[in-house]
Amino acid sequence: MNKTANVVIIGGGISGCSIAYNLAKKGVKNIVVIEKQYLASGSTGRCGAGIRMQWGTERNCLLAKLSTEFYENANEELEVVHDIEFKQGGYLIVAATEKEVEQFKKNVALQNSLGIPTVYLSPKEAKEIIPHMDESKILGATFCPKDGHLNPFYTTEAFAIAAKRLGVEFMTYTTVTGITTKNGKVTGVHTDKGYISTPIIVNAAGGYSKIIGQMAGVDVPIYAQRHQILVTEPVEPLQDPMYMSFALNIYCQQTPHGSFIMGRGDDNEPTDMRITSSWQFMEEMAKTCCELLPLLSKLRVIRQWAGLYTMTEDAHPIYGGVKELEGFYLACGFSGHGFMLGPATGLLMAETILGETTTIDISNLDKDRFERGELILEPSVV
Amino acid sequence: MRIEEHPILSFKNEKKIKFYFNGKEYEGFEGDTIASALHAAGVKVLKHSHNHKRPRGFYCAIGNCSSCLMTVNGEPNVRVCIEKLREGMMVETQKGKGVLK
Repeated sequence: MNKTANVVIIGGGISGCSIAYNLAKKGVKNIVVIEKQYLASGSTGRCGAGIRMQWGTERNCLLAKLSTEFYENANEELEVVHDIEFKQGGYLIVAATEKEVEQFKKNVALQNSLGIPTVYLSPKEAKEIIPHMDESKILGATFCPKDGHLNPFYTTEAFAIAAKRLGVEFMTYTTVTGITTKNGKVTGVHTDKGYISTPIIVNAAGGYSKIIGQMAGVDVPIYAQRHQILVTEPVEPLQDPMYMSFALNIYCQQTPHGSFIMGRGDDNEPTDMRITSSWQFMEEMAKTCCELLPLLSKLRVIRQWAGLYTMTEDAHPIYGGVKELEGFYLACGFSGHGFMLGPATGLLMAETILGETTTIDISNLDKDRFERGELILEPSVV
Repeated sequence: MRIEEHPILSFKNEKKIKFYFNGKEYEGFEGDTIASALHAAGVKVLKHSHNHKRPRGFYCAIGNCSSCLMTVNGEPNVRVCIEKLREGMMVETQKGKGVLK
């Protein structure tokens, strides 16, 4: 079955669905989204589901702020079938080292200057926000009450349904097998369900973005890395904010369902595509959680899983076209923050593809910044 | 209901154990789980589903299905099908998802 499209988006996660929705909303017809499995089956559906505006660079702060403001009104804007469960309980980011205290104070000043209502707290003040924490393990904390978390499945579905209403076609369980080009321009996409000719391809394939890039002869400077996460049995509401520490390596939130979701990073993870689970993660995660949030030691773990962070060297996403191939756009390398940035990704990519002035300047988030050596290093990543 | 005869297992049912279910005194035997003692005493409803409040009974009996979560000695979400019965235990029907204290 061969066909023609104006835009083909590869990847049915939050980025792909949000880009499709925004393009369709701006009047683009004949958009096809190709997803290898089901919507949100990759990094989106496997993520920690948080959104925070507490970043260490202006760019990440602004992207997250744009996305937060969208999520605040997303139920109305997307006319959702199911509430996206956006709970603005805040993020409590604890400082465990003197270096973090110093960095966090700088972050708060930066965030406040951008209109983000973060405050710096003493350990005692932090404990008032999460009473079951062991405040003796920390030196201070920052808190932004407008941060929060939401359901990645309902949110992705909400974008997809809104996009479908505007005529976007979704091809799930469809694998991209090749990309065709001619004279430095994109001409189409081969899939296991047939060929689609198109002048524009958006690579929003998450952990698979590098492979999709290779199909088009474009080297995308990213690598996929496994991150693991677990979920506990549900209990009555106990913790409103996301609890997070970079130095102690944990993020932990209670979903509206009552279960706790927690994860951590590991620099020794292999940088391949594996998404298996390890007992080492379970042991270390449980230990960290029980030390910092002792009450949670009474919870039983239901299951654990893993997903891919798609890392860039500076922990900022790659947005925009590439100079070597006309019609080929990148929305990838979110470095673990693709879900929270989803609304910004969709809007900014749609503006870029249509040649409009972007709501936030993303000209220095292009792929070639790595060649130019213009990295924007983010100090606050878990 | 109790299984009196079994081709492989034998049940001595020698030592009686007293416990409380929702404030009322009950009796089981040494070797019982909480669930088996309740079942023998005719208690069929162990909890209720969260959304529709439908009754949930003895189901998987191996600690997997969460159909039998109850509050035992104040601790919520105890899987009574795999928790051994002990003298004087306070077993209660749990309301909601359990409060961590």
